[in-house]
Amino acid sequence: MIGSFLASTWLFWLLLSVGGLLFWRSRSSQYFGFVLNRYLLALLTLLLVSAIVFSLMEVLPGDCAEKYIAYKNTQGETITQADIDAERVRMGLDKPLVHRWASWITDLTLRGDLGFSCAKRQSVNVALGNRFWMSFAFCIGGLVFAYLIAVPFGIFSAFMINKPWTDRNPQHSSAKRLLNTVWLFVQKAIDLKLRIISYLGLALPNFLLALSIILIYVFAGESTPTGLFSDQWRDQPWFNESGFQYGKLDDFIAHIWLPIFVIGWSATALQLQTVRALVVDETNKLYVDAAKARGVSGVALWAGYPVRHSINPLFNSVGFDFQRVYNDLPIVAVVIGLTDSASLLIEALAMTNDQELAAAILFLVALVVISMNFVTDIVLAAIDPRVRRSVLG
Amino acid sequence: MTTIMNLFGRAKSKNNTDESYYTAGQMALIKARFNRKLSGRIASWILITTLMLGLFASFFSPVDPTIKGADSDYRRGAPQMVYFWDENGFSLRPFTYTYTKEGAKIDLKALAGGGLAALDALTSSGALTSSNQNKYKVDQDKRRYLQFFVESWEYSFLDLTPIGIDFEWRTKLHLFGVEQGQVHLMGTDEDGKDVFSRTLHAIWITISIALVALVVKLFSSLIVGGVSGYFGGRIDAVLMAITEAVRVIPPIPVYLACAVALAQIDLTSVQRYFAIAVVIGLLDFATLGRRLRTHILTERNQDYVLAAQLSGASNWRVIWVHLIPSFTSYIIVDTLINFPYVILAETSLSFLGLGLTEPVNSLGVLLQKAQDPDIQQNMVWQFFPVVIFVVMVMAFVFVGDALRDAADPHSENK
Repeated sequence: MIGSFLASTWLFWLLLSVGGLLFWRSRSSQYFGFVLNRYLLALLTLLLVSAIVFSLMEVLPGDCAEKYIAYKNTQGETITQADIDAERVRMGLDKPLVHRWASWITDLTLRGDLGFSCAKRQSVNVALGNRFWMSFAFCIGGLVFAYLIAVPFGIFSAFMINKPWTDRNPQHSSAKRLLNTVWLFVQKAIDLKLRIISYLGLALPNFLLALSIILIYVFAGESTPTGLFSDQWRDQPWFNESGFQYGKLDDFIAHIWLPIFVIGWSATALQLQTVRALVVDETNKLYVDAAKARGVSGVALWAGYPVRHSINPLFNSVGFDFQRVYNDLPIVAVVIGLTDSASLLIEALAMTNDQELAAAILFLVALVVISMNFVTDIVLAAIDPRVRRSVLG
Repeated sequence: MTTIMNLFGRAKSKNNTDESYYTAGQMALIKARFNRKLSGRIASWILITTLMLGLFASFFSPVDPTIKGADSDYRRGAPQMVYFWDENGFSLRPFTYTYTKEGAKIDLKALAGGGLAALDALTSSGALTSSNQNKYKVDQDKRRYLQFFVESWEYSFLDLTPIGIDFEWRTKLHLFGVEQGQVHLMGTDEDGKDVFSRTLHAIWITISIALVALVVKLFSSLIVGGVSGYFGGRIDAVLMAITEAVRVIPPIPVYLACAVALAQIDLTSVQRYFAIAVVIGLLDFATLGRRLRTHILTERNQDYVLAAQLSGASNWRVIWVHLIPSFTSYIIVDTLINFPYVILAETSLSFLGLGLTEPVNSLGVLLQKAQDPDIQQNMVWQFFPVVIFVVMVMAFVFVGDALRDAADPHSENK
């Protein structure tokens, strides 16, 4: 009895106990007070998100009853408007929006139940399965790719930002001026080229990029890297009698790079712009001048002062970067033929009008973003004394 | 203005103490700093050229981009090159050749009588493949000379009827054309519509959609940011909580949902798209709104705000006349930086078939065509809009970068 009660309300108790723990610690530590504050704020934002998403789904045409009846219709039964209305009452769709939203959110907070997808006629949790984690992995892969390129090159670009193309310093000898000019020119050219390449990722629409890459494979006569596995490996298990299947792993990697590359490249441009702007902002601060005056120069000056401080806001924006990358994923998923939650989202919104599924996926994305923001906030407050001072007073 | 320009230009090291520098307004300083950036200057010229081409598309395009101007004798035709010289000699006036379609050699009689064997022969001869349909005979002896400032199809150069003034200036003047027939600089599509003219017309539609979205965005962020920052307290908390919630939801699925909903309402496709542009703008208030709020939170305790309040200015007036203008330069820069992202949102929607659709010329529609395997293999010239699109977005991003640097007041002495 109690077991089943706990089993059907486990998420609620989990959330409550985390809150309770934080509350208990917050009485002795100011820092945990801040964490508790953030935790409650995150939950509140989630509640708001769920309300927005839920009311947004109201604008999609059709509802659950119509879909169910339409399904029955294909089974050979004749349907009247009265049947649809009766079905609506049975499903509780005649109740006001707030009522339905409240019951949805209660199910969600009590046991993590995301509702029932009418178009798929199965629970959303089952329909999603591990597909959301698949999208999650793609996004993280794309983000890592973008960061790996954008952070070093953005710093370099910021370093080059106000450098002249030529050295006109009259105190240098003409040979040195020439040498400096050549060196500056090379650096400026590299900076420009890197920026052009990274902005190309933004300017080339994702779907076109993915299509072009697939097309190159077609023209080369190779099998295209669409989907997640090739036909040969799709139904093979990861483990068989002879142990782990490395062939399947190879095949997986040969397919998975394409979506990661495409969304990563398009995310690079914005990241590069951000890093560049952040580092330039920090470079103009007085403490950098002070360090210069103390004789710090070269790489030590850059790495130790402006770059180090500009990493924090970047880390802080990981959540929103994830949102931006996920934003691009659906279209890439459609082109490449992935079967992750992003392509499910497109299917639910544009084809089957599956409100429940779409709402659930959007909510999950928001959940990930909010959790990431929560984690980065509390981590930053823990490791950065400046942030700690500003938030703890 | 020129003195300020000189300050940053050649004479910059000489008179840094020039008075005009200290009395110059924020915009003048940004402009002067912007002019020092080579990449930004080049990009802005490219951008202005593209925009002008788009704005006066009808004047620059030799062929009517709609189905009325479709060239039924030159469907799926390759770009017609413009030459100054060839084997037959040099000509000061540029010319192009005459292109004629070879009649397909389909022997219908043999097909009627011969049965399967004749059909096999026909298919293997290649007369039916789509790549063969693009074949045109080039007649090098029949030159068609380009004419400048010619009269051709009629268009309205300036139409003020949509804004209520009964004025329309219709003209037939075009920059160039040819003597006989039409010239297709970038080839034609499967209906015979001129790709060059379509692309030029598409630029302005895309830009105007982005403009609508950005103006709406500006207003929504000004209202949210202004109200939230000025009043602070509880209103601020509520508004910021909503902003935070809107910010974490990925926007393209939301636009999609709105597009699907709007598809039920009976609108023309252009009207529907402008409605989507409004939605895009309305939902995009989070970033700019928050920046504005922070700015106003710090500004509202300044003396000039107090002075305005003591003079009896209403809250609304203080926000709009005193607080927001102090932030204009940032707003303008931010708007320009956001341009490419709004354009990209349009193309994404068009790709999914929920934005504008075929008869309308927008870059998204033309880009969507590029995913057709037939076009990728047989009509590469239809990638011309892709090139224009990429160039335009790149130009926007580079101008945005240079502007961002120029708007940073600390960037001077480095």
